[in-house]
Amino acid sequence: MVRILAATVLASVLTAGPAAAQNKIQIGCTATSDCASAMLAIDEGVFRKHGIEAEMVLIGINSNIPAAILSNSIQVGGPTSTVFLQAADGGLDLVAIGGATVMSPVTNNNIAAFVKNGITINSPKDFIGKKVGAPGLGAFLHVLFVKWLIEKGVDPKQVNFVEVTFPTMMDIMKSGSVDAVLTGEPFVTRMTNAGLGSVGARYASELNRTEPIIFYAASREWAEKNPEVVKKFRAAIAETAPVVNDDREKASVSISKFTKQPIELVKATPPNRSEPVLKPEQLAWWIEIMSSQKMLQSKMDLNKLILK
Amino acid sequence: MMADRVKALALPVSLLLIFEIWARSVHLHSDSLAPPSAIVVALWSALADGAILTATRDTLLSAFAGLFLGGSIGLALGILLGLLQPVDRLMEVTIEAIRPIPSIALLPIALIALGFGYRMEIAIVGFACVWPVLILTRAAVREVEPRLMEVSHALRLSPADRVRKIVVPAALPRIFVAFRLAAGIALIVAVTVEIAINPIGLGAAIMAAQQGLQADLMLAYLFWIGLIGFGLNAGLNLMQARLFGRAALVRDDA
Repeated sequence: MVRILAATVLASVLTAGPAAAQNKIQIGCTATSDCASAMLAIDEGVFRKHGIEAEMVLIGINSNIPAAILSNSIQVGGPTSTVFLQAADGGLDLVAIGGATVMSPVTNNNIAAFVKNGITINSPKDFIGKKVGAPGLGAFLHVLFVKWLIEKGVDPKQVNFVEVTFPTMMDIMKSGSVDAVLTGEPFVTRMTNAGLGSVGARYASELNRTEPIIFYAASREWAEKNPEVVKKFRAAIAETAPVVNDDREKASVSISKFTKQPIELVKATPPNRSEPVLKPEQLAWWIEIMSSQKMLQSKMDLNKLILK
Repeated sequence: MMADRVKALALPVSLLLIFEIWARSVHLHSDSLAPPSAIVVALWSALADGAILTATRDTLLSAFAGLFLGGSIGLALGILLGLLQPVDRLMEVTIEAIRPIPSIALLPIALIALGFGYRMEIAIVGFACVWPVLILTRAAVREVEPRLMEVSHALRLSPADRVRKIVVPAALPRIFVAFRLAAGIALIVAVTVEIAINPIGLGAAIMAAQQGLQADLMLAYLFWIGLIGFGLNAGLNLMQARLFGRAALVRDDA
């Protein structure tokens, strides 16, 4: 009897292990507000309600997310559209499983090319010959800025781009090593208050787009093996995305907890607009502008990039 | 002796004081710098909530495991190549081709193959630690007093006994120096891996603090890593002096 009991317990432990593990996911994002819907779904117990055990993993650099997904260190990641498309273009078998954030009038207004004191930007042509710091070459803000320059008839090759990470922007601007930085809030306000310069262009506002900034992605293999988890993940995100957009207080607490940024700083900036639904045509725009900037080599199949 | 040490502290302490006064007088507004007093407060709170201790455990665990793994491989290969000249010549091109690869350059491959966590970090640290141990051990073994080797031949010791009873004891002080050198490298590489990719340990904590715009906490972690490096080196020096006495001091200059 004892043996049978022991065997039953052992069998249940052995079979319960993988089953439980399948519903356990790690979500990797950088220290921004873009994965707020996932952060909130953890803090408010929405994932648990849907039968998922989720955990957030803070990732230093967005471009590391595709490799982290493929190594199964994280099952879901929040790459920017540019990082995702470049990884997929490079042959990494990634698939988008849901939307995180999209550009919106409010958040577009947070994005700026901030110029140092003594430089006046009257038209996009004034950026010619200037040294402009971007958080990453080929990163979201950089690609958008290049698109804006092209639309305004400026050859981006005439602008010198260098990489400047967000946390060092303020000090780099203070030292005068660059003429401008491509940045967003809370850095624009902080640099303005410190008297380091002024906003040279609100280029995202002028582009006025509504395409995705960041979306949730997984490896195709994992997503196809775990359709139930993906379904539950989507349901949970669909439930928390409106809360992120409507309840700044709640969203700020979760964002501050994950990014470790002081709560006052997080509260001062509206989070990027959460949008749980991701449509193929939203990626088409990104593919088009990235191809025109020669950032993509292959012809990408939109229907394959987003999991049905 | 004591007075000398106090005197040596005078310069850094005054520099810190000057920096503190300057930071307060200009109302320092920076995401990279913070007054020393704020750093001390941040360090204290990170120690109090245990965050710094968990991160230290992760970093040291990876560094020591990598040191052990890489050191063991380096030691075994070093003894082998030191004793058998033909094998050494045969392996020279291979070793010299692999050795210059910066361990950090392996990060993208290591991330895809091993994923986040201890395994990846230990593998990278291990790779970095193989070479100094291998090269110094090989040199140490080659320089073992020839008469000792003659004695081992006269006694007809088996190859294993020759290594165990003659070669290793004779080369031990220099092998220890190799491990001390590798320990420093292990800590540097572990923290670098964490800063670049791995979301555990002190390096990741520095990055998180930087991205959270908490310059004081970031610098507190930096100071703490310095303390750990200093402590590690002091501990190993002490061990070396205790274990090998004057032999260690003489050999250290070599």
